[in-house]
Amino acid sequence: MIWQSFGRWFSALLAILALTACTQTHSNEIATLSLSGWQSSPTERQALEQILREFEAQHPQIRVRFEVIADQYMDVIKTRLIGDAAPDVFFLDAFEAPLLMQHGVLEPLDRYIQPDFDLADFEPNLLNAFKLQGTIYGIPKDFSTLALFYNRRQFADANLSNPPQTWEQLRDDSRQLTLDRNRNGRIDQYGLGISPELARQKFVAQAYGGTVVDRRGYAALASRRSVRGLQLIIDQYRQDRTAATPSDVGASSGSEMFGQQRVAMVLEGPWAIPYLQETFSDLEFAIAQVPKINRRSGTMVYTTAYVMNKRTRHKEAAWELIEYLTNKTGMKAWGEAGIALPSRKSVLAQLGRDRDPLYSPFVKGASYATLWQAGENLPAILTHFNNQFVSALLGQKSLQQAMEDAQQAANREIQAQNY
Amino acid sequence: MFKSLIKSQQRQEAFSGYLFMFPTLLILGVFLVLPILFSIFLATHRVQILGEVSYRFVGLRNLTRSTADPRVGIALRNTLEYVLIVVPVQTILALALALILDLKIRGKSWFRVIFFMPTVTSAAVLTLIFMWIYNSNGLLNNLLEKVGLPTYNWLGDPNVALKSIMIMNIWSTAPFFMVIYLAALQDIPTYLYEAAKLDGANEMDRLWNITLPLLKPVTFFIVVMGIIGTFQLFDQSYIFSGGSGGPNNATLTFVLLIYQYAFKNLDIGYAAALALVLALIIMLVTAIQRRLFKDEKAN
Amino acid sequence: MKRSHFLQPLFYSILIAYAIITLFPFAWALSASFKPLAEIVEGGMHLIPQHFTWENYQHIFTASPLFGRWLFNSVLVAVFITSFNLLFNSMAGYALARIHFPGNNLIFALILAVLMVPGQITLIPTFLILKSLGWLNTYQGLIVPSVVNATFIFMMRQFFINFPKELEEAAALDGLNRWQTFWQIVLPLAKPALAAQAIFVFMGAWNNFLMPLMILSDPAMFTLPLGLNTFKGQYISYWNYIMAASMVFTLPALAIYAFFNRYFIHSVTFTGGK
Repeated sequence: MIWQSFGRWFSALLAILALTACTQTHSNEIATLSLSGWQSSPTERQALEQILREFEAQHPQIRVRFEVIADQYMDVIKTRLIGDAAPDVFFLDAFEAPLLMQHGVLEPLDRYIQPDFDLADFEPNLLNAFKLQGTIYGIPKDFSTLALFYNRRQFADANLSNPPQTWEQLRDDSRQLTLDRNRNGRIDQYGLGISPELARQKFVAQAYGGTVVDRRGYAALASRRSVRGLQLIIDQYRQDRTAATPSDVGASSGSEMFGQQRVAMVLEGPWAIPYLQETFSDLEFAIAQVPKINRRSGTMVYTTAYVMNKRTRHKEAAWELIEYLTNKTGMKAWGEAGIALPSRKSVLAQLGRDRDPLYSPFVKGASYATLWQAGENLPAILTHFNNQFVSALLGQKSLQQAMEDAQQAANREIQAQNY
Repeated sequence: MFKSLIKSQQRQEAFSGYLFMFPTLLILGVFLVLPILFSIFLATHRVQILGEVSYRFVGLRNLTRSTADPRVGIALRNTLEYVLIVVPVQTILALALALILDLKIRGKSWFRVIFFMPTVTSAAVLTLIFMWIYNSNGLLNNLLEKVGLPTYNWLGDPNVALKSIMIMNIWSTAPFFMVIYLAALQDIPTYLYEAAKLDGANEMDRLWNITLPLLKPVTFFIVVMGIIGTFQLFDQSYIFSGGSGGPNNATLTFVLLIYQYAFKNLDIGYAAALALVLALIIMLVTAIQRRLFKDEKAN
Repeated sequence: MKRSHFLQPLFYSILIAYAIITLFPFAWALSASFKPLAEIVEGGMHLIPQHFTWENYQHIFTASPLFGRWLFNSVLVAVFITSFNLLFNSMAGYALARIHFPGNNLIFALILAVLMVPGQITLIPTFLILKSLGWLNTYQGLIVPSVVNATFIFMMRQFFINFPKELEEAAALDGLNRWQTFWQIVLPLAKPALAAQAIFVFMGAWNNFLMPLMILSDPAMFTLPLGLNTFKGQYISYWNYIMAASMVFTLPALAIYAFFNRYFIHSVTFTGGK
């Protein structure tokens, strides 16, 4: 087959092209590091830039170029990793970490970590998200959990004084909070805003002891236990009609429909706090822990780490940068400015986030939260879940059927990759 | 002597042909043909492209795998439905608008600029606007309700979701083709119309016997580009479904499927095989369509 | 030339209805660019901003010190790409339509074929090629792969096919060679087609997002859509900035269209005296 040699031929051709290209000269004096990530808000980005300028002031031989990748972050990172043009240091969501750790494109960090870095200070759950077989590939920069945002005025209007503690109460309260003010048959205010995505619902699926991904990495969405948890959401949406998705009310996110006062409650992360305060100045809201399902506390936790590209030419400098950003001082600076919560326990306490009424429900959630991560097949599984969960929400098929379809499609795909 | 003159003329003609084609051949060769050849290579291999690169020859197994993949069938059906509805509608709409705008109409340049606006508006903005128009309490449902028509969950309901995308796509693509028709109409020599007028042809005759036949090459272009564009529909279904192709695969298009395999699963070999399948299908459809148009090449 | 048509009222109603359909969303986006975020996300349908503000525009022009650079990059890249395309695509389209050379049909088939392979799959190989050329983060990396465009070669071929043969024969009798014929006779008569091509190529280059996103990592090299997209948040969409930003890069494309629009006005050039 000629095609068998084409791969080699193509690489050889690329090599020739590379020779004809002008070779850049690299000064050994100053190392320029590239750092890629996203931003939660323009203010957060300015804060990070500020910290980076301070880093440069303290490390005159290192320059840092921060690049916000505007869209399709992981597609860009994966393509650049394939092309050996990836940034030296970049943000990595825990959810995508297993795939990159498995493929050996990240630099193991154990040998750089000194005792005074105090690894034990990190929330173990978060650190474990970036470990594979005992090796550390990333230092968590921060985390976010979900908590219950509720509209105080709407609660008062419905004669509710306290946020719900259990999911049963949440459904009862939702009935009282769902209003059709002008009685035209269209609901103007729903009790609960929901996001029909696995990233938000994984802990619900696990509330009755279900799993989403089994030990071998296959989807286990249709187990009786997973369905039992998710059924709560479907029932509230279909039978009670006291819940809405963002697209039902013309919003683009849960925090937006909560801000518009189309829903009285929503499960969102700390990123929604500054957004709601700045954008909806007359909104009176408070935050509580996610109500218990099946008498168990639960929520989601999302975390992001700084990781080092294995092919970087400035490994020592790259570590200097990661170390600076995640040591106690660096993380405190970031925690003060950033929207997410610092991943070091000491910094969390120092900033008093656990005593702040707005932030403490998120901090408390960290101890019982479900990590948004489940092996390297999760990206594939999530596509099928999101695809099918909505059809159950719309009543096209039963939840059981939808989850079986999703599970079957995901597992067929995972299986087909192994030949 | 005479023969060799013709020969040298032919050679000169061929030479200028290649000269005219040279920049095209060079650039397309390096930046399109080469990557496509590489994709054909990938399609016959089991590929590990991230980290330790490895290629294992698997022959046609990626292709046979696609015949057993139920989502390929679903994606193909969605895509075909999309093509069959969108291509004729947008072509006819573009032609009708262009013909009207080519008449003696007051303010025609204003209409042209206004009609062109959707083409220049960015996808992110269009999506937001349409989310706002399409939501259950949105503009469209309010309008429908006022005139006593049934309302829909335009984005959530799988029976309607693909149609919502169709409407949006027709709306934003028709002006593009309208501009090409306008340019083509402008190229039709006026003396043809005048001659026909002298022969007593009325406006309808002139439309059928002069305008439409002379627009045929451009219509061929527009239909082929419409077919290619609709078969390769990706952006809207990606944005509306958050990349999942849901609800229940209702907005799963062929290219979205390819994208999911290539970037979400890093199953590049299989994705490349699917891409070639799609290219072959488009080629087949275009070939049929070309038969219908006959070959218009002037000799 | 055409007297007012008995269907005239029908035509006007169609035009006006369609104008409203297309104008309304655009007008809404324009108005949103003058609203504070709170007013946009409230979901009201006011076309007139309730709390009119310039702040969004101020923010996008001043928040990044690189704004001027992004604008420059975009203009530079779009202008280069458009000029090369006009020349090369027209040459190729003309050759495919009018010149007999061995392989003509094969090359045409090949050009159609490359259009049929979805770009999502050639993205990674193209990236690898640009990388080996050392063209990541460079102007040539943005420009050179786009200096010809298969779509518009195809379009130009379809336009040239109808071209009156007599003109070329006359040119040949006058002793003009192929290049002179093309340059002096054919191109000037193809102005409407060239104008259409110029608009589309410019717009394509101006709005191009995915390829620049992959190959540009240095913010100083960003093009406008890429730079303006950095106003998007991870969880929160700052629609006010996005709307203002999209107006900033929509208007030049619209201006280009309005400029070339005069090439599509039939009656002025041909029938003005009648």
